[in-house]
Amino acid sequence: MREEDKERGYDFHKASHTETMTINMGPSHPATHGTVKFFLTLDGETIEDIDVEIGYLHRAFEKECEAQKWNGVFPYTDRLDYTASVLNNVGYAMAAEKLIGIEVPERCKYLRTMISEMARMSGHYTNVGAGALELGALTAFIYFIEARELLWDLIESICGARLTHNYVRIGGLTNDLPDGFRENVKRVFAKNRKLWDDFDIMLTKNRIFLDRMRDTGGISQKDAIAWGFTGPCLRAAGVPYDVRRAQPYLMYDRMNFDIPVGSTGDNFDRYLVRMEEIKQSMSIVEQCLEQMPEGPINVDDARWRMPSKDDSSTKMEPLIFHFKQIIEGQSIPAGEAYQAVEGANGELGFYLVSNGGGKPWKCRVRPPSFALTSALPLLVKGSMLADLIPTFDMINLIGGECDR
Amino acid sequence: MAINIKKVDRNVSMTFLERMYIPYMLHGMWVAIRHAAINMLGFFEEILAGKSKRQVMTLFYPEEYPDIPPAYRGKPTLVRRDDGLEACVACGLCEAACPPLCISIIGGERENGERYPVTYTLDGTRCIYCGFCEEVCPKEAIVMSDRFQGLCEYDREKMIYDKESLLVPREKLQKRLDTIRNKYFSEKRYR
Ligand code: SF4
Ligand code: SF4
Repeated sequence: MREEDKERGYDFHKASHTETMTINMGPSHPATHGTVKFFLTLDGETIEDIDVEIGYLHRAFEKECEAQKWNGVFPYTDRLDYTASVLNNVGYAMAAEKLIGIEVPERCKYLRTMISEMARMSGHYTNVGAGALELGALTAFIYFIEARELLWDLIESICGARLTHNYVRIGGLTNDLPDGFRENVKRVFAKNRKLWDDFDIMLTKNRIFLDRMRDTGGISQKDAIAWGFTGPCLRAAGVPYDVRRAQPYLMYDRMNFDIPVGSTGDNFDRYLVRMEEIKQSMSIVEQCLEQMPEGPINVDDARWRMPSKDDSSTKMEPLIFHFKQIIEGQSIPAGEAYQAVEGANGELGFYLVSNGGGKPWKCRVRPPSFALTSALPLLVKGSMLADLIPTFDMINLIGGECDR
Repeated sequence: MAINIKKVDRNVSMTFLERMYIPYMLHGMWVAIRHAAINMLGFFEEILAGKSKRQVMTLFYPEEYPDIPPAYRGKPTLVRRDDGLEACVACGLCEAACPPLCISIIGGERENGERYPVTYTLDGTRCIYCGFCEEVCPKEAIVMSDRFQGLCEYDREKMIYDKESLLVPREKLQKRLDTIRNKYFSEKRYR
């Protein structure tokens, strides 16, 4: 209903004998990636009411963790935010390390920082690219997917998988950098910068894109904080909160980078913030490679590291201990710990409880996109149906992370 | 070091020509055409001279084969020793470490007292290619090979691999066996 009509006490629906229409959008609508259903009440093309139904990708992550040993949880964390899976690995490992009270070696921290930023890039590539795709810019989407492919080749050469990396362990990492990695990074980043420029030319000043993105789905600073926004969506509203800056972890306090913030919190700000973050992440990766020292990548403590294959096949003591560790699980001291990392979508927190056994007693995840999705009705109510698409894209619901 | 705050420019400054839309559209088309041309001609190394590698992302798949890095985690396979027997001693560690519980082993003993798996079943429908089995195996008896083809079937029964179909001679897996020795350790084998 229009505001003027309301004031006059004039009901358009009654006068013209029309009704609102309720439609289902999703769960397998091309624009509702991540499998989510909207239950929309439409007045013409205006959204009167929206119900967001999540949970299609629910797979009991938190309960499943309780059945796994501490290290066995890593493959499951991979599947939370699957566009940036190492970030979940890092978050979980850091929470567990906080619980134990160990500090990983410096090289490991640098490697984790580097691969986290690569994951963030891959998450933003997917999000921004898919956002463009759903507004009809298939060509631009392909450029970013090409950039992501190149990035995934790099990640694959480190840890052996493109999507479900399973790279980080409690107390360290599985693999060190392969030969020729630095040259590959140089080659790939040169190409990715070109693709970024092409993407920018295609979209940032494109009238159609601007009209769809600018001034749609905006949120004020106050509301954004009240709804628990974090990450690019909060920064787009103008709040310079970033876990990497507020509580520096790993090696972020030694890096030189900018945190982009917007002003109105609309879709275009979110897009610009993400595009800028891709650039900043590239520079962080390069800084990491520059500063990285030589050294071990795992803590030097048999309790938190697999024995080398030489040891376990020739020496008795390490072998017996290895058996005990695998069959009973590593016994992490009883206690609780919360550790947040800056995920691709915002603050990704892991809250772990241990009762001293070989399995997590409780593993709670704070998924950033859950808070963002809950505010979706606020963002789109009263706007056009077509505005739902860019808003939903830039909110970036990742089913695996939101539904767990 | 410094972490600064940078405001993004949402009022994208446009020149007069960009405001006119059509020149800007042509610019966008030029970018798209350039990419299309590279995609069509980039298969031939001679045309885009000076580039040692082709400029196209995609592969002519069955004819061309992707580069598989040594760290790649493909289908888990059992190692067949040089004397033709399996290297596995049926210790059950991989069974205990596998997160989706896809390995089941029944162990037995040979006449010379050596333990061996009487049956070794790996459920390919459940395997998530995490590589834990390879990491924990004390005998280097199971490794993630670089095989990624032919893992899908129309019939789930066919995806349950038994011992015979998992065994691969050691020579074929030597590269991977060398790689996993460096796992968890930096290249200098720091202790
Ligand atoms: S790769 Fe992982 S899921 Fe597959 S058999 Fe080995 S431990 Fe199990
Ligand atoms: S861990 Fe190795 S030796 Fe033990 S049962 Fe598994 S494959 Fe065999």
